[in-house]
Amino acid sequence: MSPDPTTTDPVDRARAWTLVARREVTVKLTDRAFLIGTVLTLALISGFMVIQAVMEQRTHTYAVAATPADAAMAQDLHREVTSVDDKVRVTVDVVSDAGAAEAAVRSGSADVWLRRTGDGWLLSGKTSVPGDLESAAATVVRRQALATNAGTLGVSVGDLTRGAGLGTSVLDGSAQRNDFAHGMGFALAFLFYLSSLGFGVTLAQSVLEEKQSRIVEIIATKIPVRHLLAGKVLGNAAMALGQMALYVGIGLVGLTFTAYSRYLPGVSGALGWFLAFFLLGFLLIACAWAVAGALASRAEDLQQTSAPLTMLMIAIFFGALFLNGTALTVLSFVPPFSAVLMPIRVLGGQAGWWEPLIALGLLAVAAAWVVSVAERLYRRSLLQTQGRLTLKQAWSAPDLAETVAP
Amino acid sequence: MTTAASTLTTPRHRATGTIEAHGLSRRFGDLVAVDDVTLTVPAGRLTGFVGGNGAGKTTTMRMVMGLLAMDAGTVLWQGRPITDADRRTFGYMPEERGLYPKQKVVDQLVYLGQLSGMSAPAARAAIHDHLERFGLADRGGDRVEKLSLGNQQRVQIIAALMAEPAALILDEPFSGLDPSAVDSMADLLREHTARGVPVLFSSHQLDLVERLCDRLVVLARGTVVAEGAVEELRGRGPRRHRLVLDGDAGWVRGVRGLTVVDVDGPVALVEPDDEAAAQALLAEAVRRGPVREFARVVPPLSEIYREVTA
Repeated sequence: MSPDPTTTDPVDRARAWTLVARREVTVKLTDRAFLIGTVLTLALISGFMVIQAVMEQRTHTYAVAATPADAAMAQDLHREVTSVDDKVRVTVDVVSDAGAAEAAVRSGSADVWLRRTGDGWLLSGKTSVPGDLESAAATVVRRQALATNAGTLGVSVGDLTRGAGLGTSVLDGSAQRNDFAHGMGFALAFLFYLSSLGFGVTLAQSVLEEKQSRIVEIIATKIPVRHLLAGKVLGNAAMALGQMALYVGIGLVGLTFTAYSRYLPGVSGALGWFLAFFLLGFLLIACAWAVAGALASRAEDLQQTSAPLTMLMIAIFFGALFLNGTALTVLSFVPPFSAVLMPIRVLGGQAGWWEPLIALGLLAVAAAWVVSVAERLYRRSLLQTQGRLTLKQAWSAPDLAETVAP
Repeated sequence: MTTAASTLTTPRHRATGTIEAHGLSRRFGDLVAVDDVTLTVPAGRLTGFVGGNGAGKTTTMRMVMGLLAMDAGTVLWQGRPITDADRRTFGYMPEERGLYPKQKVVDQLVYLGQLSGMSAPAARAAIHDHLERFGLADRGGDRVEKLSLGNQQRVQIIAALMAEPAALILDEPFSGLDPSAVDSMADLLREHTARGVPVLFSSHQLDLVERLCDRLVVLARGTVVAEGAVEELRGRGPRRHRLVLDGDAGWVRGVRGLTVVDVDGPVALVEPDDEAAAQALLAEAVRRGPVREFARVVPPLSEIYREVTA
């Protein structure tokens, strides 16, 4: 008795996609361009951290030229400037007269020339006056003038300045923390852009390559086409998530060496959200890229079939860069924008605990919908080799014998 | 079937059968590429599929493999409608050659073998055997793109054959192969037919088809114009005989029951109406003098092909 051919096959057909996914991962791991790109990005991230840490340590020393008449104020500057700004030091260079002072600045032996003008003081630089020196010096000069004036009037400096202090504070977090969150949000949006575009384009190209070389015909006679799509998308998603986790991890390690390390406990939760959003967003976008590849028949077609996706990637990136207020809040719930915008709002401390949950749910629903639509489009366009297909043509193309369960 | 264990490790001893296509039709826009094609690929037989460019061979094979939707028709396997699961046990080689150019030969074949349901070790063993037979044993670690086109083709053939397929559908498997590769390939195909596998392969090379095939299907303008055993098809032509004498053969013009095609000195080419007329001619020739040669002239396949596709 000859056995039924459906039972002689030893492979568990439900796992055919894992074979495809494993190949995708292997191909990525042996792809020189991918490896170099990853290493370069890592170098960029750690390089940025190093520069940040070095900049924080660095102090600026400025040579201030003054004539003997103005030397007292210059000495005050020297003594007190560091108490105003701990990154600024001042050395005093007493010169004979105004001409010599100007010459010192012009020749570069002094950074600025300090002199009295009418009822105030003037700081002259050659082409510019360093901002940190200017603001620190202004404070010192104001303090000295107040003390002198108070003495003249016979009152104390305390009486004179009572009620004149102005501090600043922000209601949400702190100003510096918000700046930090903003910079971090930008970095994450940029990484998302790089990753979704980089993986997306290579995914579309590999789909087209399979289609063009007709190896897809061999594969399609062996496993269901949806397994091919699932394997390619999930294999790439695993690699993209791993790469992103590596970037974020290196970034976090780098941050511990900077002054920003005190904000890390506050943002680590947001980074967890970012990875969750990234995974779902990537799945959605990767399926769309696979369809873009399947719609094309030649490399030239790919430009056109993938143009809307490229635009979308740019729109998400710029949305993360420039949106704020209501527009940001609304779009942070709209897939696929939510994949980047919601984590940014969480990072900025602007989102309630329930908001990322809802946005993630919406993104999951959208991703599931895109996956099912993409599966149909991919399946129906993959074996059509007569030129570029439109979405409509692909949607209504005759289906193949995929109706029989594997 | 020997034991259950052997089928679990390698997909050997697959049940073979006969492929029957009935009334296959397919149009692309206004062009009718395949029109009501009915053909049989019997188990254990090598069936050649010939026809000019655009005759519909590739379209027919793609429909049999389920890669192209049919407008009409059915494909039967073992006497029942074919399923995707059946097709997954088939070996298929598409017309346009393609593999992953940047992947190594063995890695790529292992991948395709696993997709066919082989275990990695079983695939490796089969690949090693096949590479050896094609003289490519030392190229297994090379990227496919480093191979010559002929060698890439051999790799594709291995991809189609290595999983002990239940049936083979091969589109132009011999094109671009050198004579020794053609011989290895022919031997391989015969091994598969020997274990009962039906093989359908298309080709432009009629001499090759004539030499290798048990059966022949001729396609022209999307329809089957001839189908049958090669000998049978060749026998369909007129029963032409060649007679060589010592003396002049002009006298055959007076013999009844035959048509004289040509007489040139001692050589005559005639078409007897039947076997009796042929024997009568021979008897007469022997009575008149020595006969050097009297033989049936079987027309070459190319002549039959020209006749049926004209």
